Amino acid sequence: MTVSRRDLLKFAALAAASAGALPLSGCESITSSASKFLGEGIPSKVSVCAGTVVDRDFHFLSRATYGLWPGDLDYLKSVGRNKWLDEQLHYEKIDDRACDLRARRFETLWLDTGTCFEYKKTVLRDELVRHMLLRAIYSKRQLYEVMVGFWSDHLSIDVGKGDAIYAKATDDRTVIRGHAFGRFQDLIAASAKSAAMLIYLDGNENRSAAHPTAQNIPNENYARELLELHTMGVDGGYTQSDVYEVARCLTGWRIRTPWQRGQIYFEAAEHDDGAKVVLGKTIAAGGGERDLDSVLDIVCKHRSTARHIATKLLQHFVSEEPPKAMINRVAKVFTATDGDMRSVLKSVFSDKQFDQFATTKIKRPFHFIASSLRALAADTHAHSSLTEYLNRMGHAPFQYPTPDGYPDQSSYWLSTLLWRWNFALSVCSNKVPEVTVELPELATAIGAATKDVKTKTLTKPQLDCLFSHFVGRQPTSSERSTFFDYLATSKSESDPCPELVGLILSSPAFQRC
Amino acid sequence: MASPKDYSRRAFLRKLAFADEAQLGTTNKSLVCIFLRGGADTLNMLVPYSNDDYYKLRPNIAIKNPLRGGPTAAIKLDDHYAFHPKMAPLLPIYRDGRLGMVQAVGTDNFTGSHFEAQDQVDHGESCGHSLAGGWLGRHLATRSLGQQTPLSAVAIGTALPESLRGAPSASVLNSIEDIKLEAPPGQSQAIAAALAKLYGAEVALLAEPSKITIDLLGRVEKLQSQTYRPANGADYPDNTFGKGLKEIARLLKGAVGLEVAALDLNGWDTHFFQGAEAGLQADIIDQLATGLAAFDKDLGSARSTVTTLVITEFGRRSYENSSMGTDHGRAFTVFAIGDRIAGGQVHGPLPHLTRGQQLDLLGPSGLAVAYDYRSALAEILVRALDNRRIDNVFPGFKGQEIGLVKRAIV
Repeated sequence: MTVSRRDLLKFAALAAASAGALPLSGCESITSSASKFLGEGIPSKVSVCAGTVVDRDFHFLSRATYGLWPGDLDYLKSVGRNKWLDEQLHYEKIDDRACDLRARRFETLWLDTGTCFEYKKTVLRDELVRHMLLRAIYSKRQLYEVMVGFWSDHLSIDVGKGDAIYAKATDDRTVIRGHAFGRFQDLIAASAKSAAMLIYLDGNENRSAAHPTAQNIPNENYARELLELHTMGVDGGYTQSDVYEVARCLTGWRIRTPWQRGQIYFEAAEHDDGAKVVLGKTIAAGGGERDLDSVLDIVCKHRSTARHIATKLLQHFVSEEPPKAMINRVAKVFTATDGDMRSVLKSVFSDKQFDQFATTKIKRPFHFIASSLRALAADTHAHSSLTEYLNRMGHAPFQYPTPDGYPDQSSYWLSTLLWRWNFALSVCSNKVPEVTVELPELATAIGAATKDVKTKTLTKPQLDCLFSHFVGRQPTSSERSTFFDYLATSKSESDPCPELVGLILSSPAFQRC
Repeated sequence: MASPKDYSRRAFLRKLAFADEAQLGTTNKSLVCIFLRGGADTLNMLVPYSNDDYYKLRPNIAIKNPLRGGPTAAIKLDDHYAFHPKMAPLLPIYRDGRLGMVQAVGTDNFTGSHFEAQDQVDHGESCGHSLAGGWLGRHLATRSLGQQTPLSAVAIGTALPESLRGAPSASVLNSIEDIKLEAPPGQSQAIAAALAKLYGAEVALLAEPSKITIDLLGRVEKLQSQTYRPANGADYPDNTFGKGLKEIARLLKGAVGLEVAALDLNGWDTHFFQGAEAGLQADIIDQLATGLAAFDKDLGSARSTVTTLVITEFGRRSYENSSMGTDHGRAFTVFAIGDRIAGGQVHGPLPHLTRGQQLDLLGPSGLAVAYDYRSALAEILVRALDNRRIDNVFPGFKGQEIGLVKRAIV
């Protein structure tokens, strides 16, 4: 997906015309204007929901995306959920040039592990985080990006550990993004041979117990997490001896150094080539590097894995405590399709109980930030002024200290409200440096034009419209009176939108999804 | 590893615990962690004056024997040790039995690299076996109670130190003034009132944390509206370190739920012209000692819940180099202040100071390590901060008993 030279020249001309008005650096200002040119702006007319409970399609999009960009709801309603899902699941056909313009510039994301060693760790970390955030905000392949986030937690790697950061860009590209919608077992196989994972979970230290040196005992760290976190789940029915046997199967995978640094290879001499028994199945001696696939054949096809992945997906997309019947239905599809993620996701989103769980989840900080910026159609290049909010809320991508990934449970995130409020209040007043929102344009598009309205003269329909755009329903009478009471105290003589929208984004309704 | 099921059970237990706990900030014990960046020459801070080798190996930079007297001499603590004269402000705390030291603490890192050793100490790991998250972050995560606030963990400065990574929420700030609602001018009360109303209608989950946060803002605002006057005539030095400590004292006394504060003091990498009773190192010891003394005075009765720890990444060689400084060594002295500290004494073995001793990878005369640094950290977390899940902070690490922290009276 590349932009033609002629397109680029057009953007350049466009940007030059408006250069005076743009405070960003040259390259970024061109990108920002070009994005609008590629249809990333605010449509001239955006519908809002008129109901008193959250619109079911709004709910659907809140879960399937990082939040609704102005116009997303109109599009979904025009094509229907099935077509929308099909498009999203075949993401490679979705034109994502506008997002690429912003996100492809981070060169370290495209380098191999060995070359990454030539960069400072902080540069690598910043580029990983900025890339992830920009894709979440601007990609039109939203479901894909949400799944990238899901797998990044499921196969969590903290780039703060050892040399993992040098290999994380490759892991992101080839493991997570390469298999986000693929066959589950292919994803796990790729992850098992990922240098970043080998470093993070000490697979690199895993040597045959038969090896002469005393220190060379199998390192079970990866084997254990493979069973407990990545596939079967803690109650999946494996035993400690299964962990040991899996660790034996996985001995011998190494990372090259210093030549071809970061490349994975199999060192037969360090592999335990004896016979093993995993979950009651015998893996014959002499399997060598094929032992890995034998193990994955056993554990990925195990019914505990289907249940574990179904449960986690439903916890992410539906409810912290998904109904058993729903887990059964999704697990059944997982098993029937050999873990084909497209089919599995389809079963999640088309489940008859899906709509019952609107507003029962609390957005995690990353989702909160991304959904705010999407609903506002904000312009940003994710500088540290923005990513700092993720640090403060303890949700910077790829930096969760334990291998279970950032928790999906709301209770974990409840101490972050102050930073959410401050982000909301600041971003709406254009006070987050290098993040720009155009509230008047947005308000006009949703039919709440406030250009000539003073704080005190904002009408009820205007307020309701603004609220509904962000939340997917009309405000309750108590919410409405709270907003009007606040506006009555406001000293603002001009457009009341920045304060009002800041408050709407701070409200509990917008924390929920 | 925690499964989702485990989490909800834990969340439930947390709620139970919360029901029993008294008001925010009153039951918490707090840790202030001061990191001397650059590898402090603790041998010139806690001077082993009874050891003749000390004077032989440091002809230009040794601190004068206290038995010789005079204002430039070290200050005698016992038959073996004396303080650098600039440590004098800490003497009352030592005599009070609340300042304790541990000798021969160090890491198993032989590289002599600041970066590696600091990284290792910040992460609380052993060499080559890196752990995710910082040791303070993991400590906070094991204590992740439902009522953690944005001020549970605070780093004074501009960037989150590695030690706090993995904390459920951590704030980086230069002063309390940074904690506020980003409301339009004069509108913060109205915004807070509106938020209180909006969240007041919530029945589950969000109601409690919003109350805690709004309450916290109120407390902080009260602190902000008053000019801070340190108590008991405490006089903070007018430098970044002193200001940082003052902010920490303000937060601690303001009962805003602060559990861990991290503060750096830079400039300990004294390869060149380190000086003796005066000079480069003396100036920075002065900052440290006057700052800590003011902090201790200022805390007043709040001091019973606060433990202050002073660490560095490695000590320096026993002998001075040709530029009258000291090069990277190994073991260092840990300083700790608090009611729970077994103070008024120096724990650990007397340093053995012979040139050419310890011919390890580091070169000669790095002081021998008797205690892995994590033994000291773990003792503080377990005994002074009541951490009950120390295995999650230092997985697989078996600490040695030092006796730096008194056992809790059961």
